[in-house]
Amino acid sequence: MENFVTAFDMAVDDALFWLTDHAAFIFDGIRALLEGLYDGILWLLMLAPFHVVSVLAGLIAWRVMKSPGAGIATVLAMVFCWWMGLWAETMSTLALVVAASVIALAISLPLGVLAGLMPRLDRALAPVLDLIQTMPPYIYLLPAIALLGYGPATALIATVIVAMPPAVRLTALGIRRTPTEFIELGHATGVTPAQMFLKIRLPFAVPSIMAGVNQSLMMAFGMVVIAGIVGSGGLGETIFSAIRTLDIAKSIDAAIAIVVLTMVLDRVTQSLARAK
Amino acid sequence: MNQISPGAFLAPAVDWLNANFHPFFALVTRVIEAVLGGIEAMLLVLPPVGLIVLVAGAAFFAAGLRIAVLSACCLGFCWLTGLWTASMQTLAVVVVSVAIAVAIAFPLGIWAARRASVEAALRPILDVMQTVPPWVYLIPAVMIFSLGRVPAIIATIVYGIPPMLRLTTLAFKGVPTDLKELGQAIGAKPRTILWKIEFPAAKPTLLVGLNQCILLSLAMVVLAGLVGAGGLGAEVTRGLTRMEMGLGLRAGLAIVAIALLLDRLSQGALDRQRRA
Repeated sequence: MENFVTAFDMAVDDALFWLTDHAAFIFDGIRALLEGLYDGILWLLMLAPFHVVSVLAGLIAWRVMKSPGAGIATVLAMVFCWWMGLWAETMSTLALVVAASVIALAISLPLGVLAGLMPRLDRALAPVLDLIQTMPPYIYLLPAIALLGYGPATALIATVIVAMPPAVRLTALGIRRTPTEFIELGHATGVTPAQMFLKIRLPFAVPSIMAGVNQSLMMAFGMVVIAGIVGSGGLGETIFSAIRTLDIAKSIDAAIAIVVLTMVLDRVTQSLARAK
Repeated sequence: MNQISPGAFLAPAVDWLNANFHPFFALVTRVIEAVLGGIEAMLLVLPPVGLIVLVAGAAFFAAGLRIAVLSACCLGFCWLTGLWTASMQTLAVVVVSVAIAVAIAFPLGIWAARRASVEAALRPILDVMQTVPPWVYLIPAVMIFSLGRVPAIIATIVYGIPPMLRLTTLAFKGVPTDLKELGQAIGAKPRTILWKIEFPAAKPTLLVGLNQCILLSLAMVVLAGLVGAGGLGAEVTRGLTRMEMGLGLRAGLAIVAIALLLDRLSQGALDRQRRA
């Protein structure tokens, strides 16, 4: 048993050395790409002063939720984050969530559509998605940190993995749930496959897909905060370092900012799902 | 910049609680530590092989041969990786917190199923609890119970309650009315109706809730390795922070094994319920 443990550790170290020696350019490329995306989004968010961003967020919430109260609450929530002196951290958390969600959705929406159209792919994906969802999210940081090192890229990769399953599942579900009468109607009127997909299947699937987007976003948010431990920056790292130095006041502030931001994101995307 | 910090107001309150209610928190800590120590000792009193055989035997009767082989493999893997003690510590924390979470969520869930007003009052609280990232739960627990296993258990209990409560309410609301009326017609006491009619009818949904509760608790316990909860989570954290990837990977895989064991065992029991 002892032998197995040492042999295992040696093998892992050797494999990692080999990878970092021979495939460094691949991981450097991935890292540069991810950090570029993150930096770009963060640059956009930090371009305007906090009041402009807050008002914009409030306008979006107002339009989406169709209630001026929600818009005002959103503006207040954002201003509150600024007032606690956590504006930069809040924006970098938001940039991480957005970057991770964009990548996760870019992969999982097409995958979900394919799985919805092809029962065989769906059956092949199910155990993989089950496994991803069974494992505690924390451990996805391990392989990511081994290959990409500390920083936002690691946080992004782990977050993308965690955020994908709900979007794949709910997209496939939505596509599969098209009422048979409408598919038959399509066949009867002789639409092309592309029209069938865009005009009949997709519109029926939109509520389910939006529910998947909401779930993905919330999973991404949870993971981004955890990823503070690998130096992702943002509110997660603020909390992590505040807990380690027992700075209670600061950790409470950051926790409040996280809760406030979660609420805003969740409510906006949820009503987006309901509005359609 | 003129900052506010709600944390700076709350921190003295936490200090005050710690100063004035210290005996109470110390008592809670001691009770939890004692229960946990007892369960851990029970899991570790048998040699690993003995416990593996015992669990496999229990799994065979609860869920069938396939699950029994799977659980033997999972536990065998934990033993092989040289993390047996850590695995048992993690398992003990999960068992204690799931038991307490169920003890709180089950009666509350039944109450909410009986009274619409209770359900309406609970729903927004559960909504908030389920959207907030798990990290945030650790902060108040750490502030009051400092570092160690007790804050981990407290945070895990709080995190595990919402899914169990929701599904308990759903399960008891889904019991067919004619069954309940039948019970009243033959003059059964409310207690008899609850345990002999409603509980068996609600069991499949309750087991789904239990499965969710167990998996979320495991995720939280692993995360709590960050605040010194010990067990496999601590090993992962050590691997992450010291860059000992072999150790981290072994601990990560042991967590996967434990997650698979708990998930398949509770799902296997559920499938047997459905078939019966």
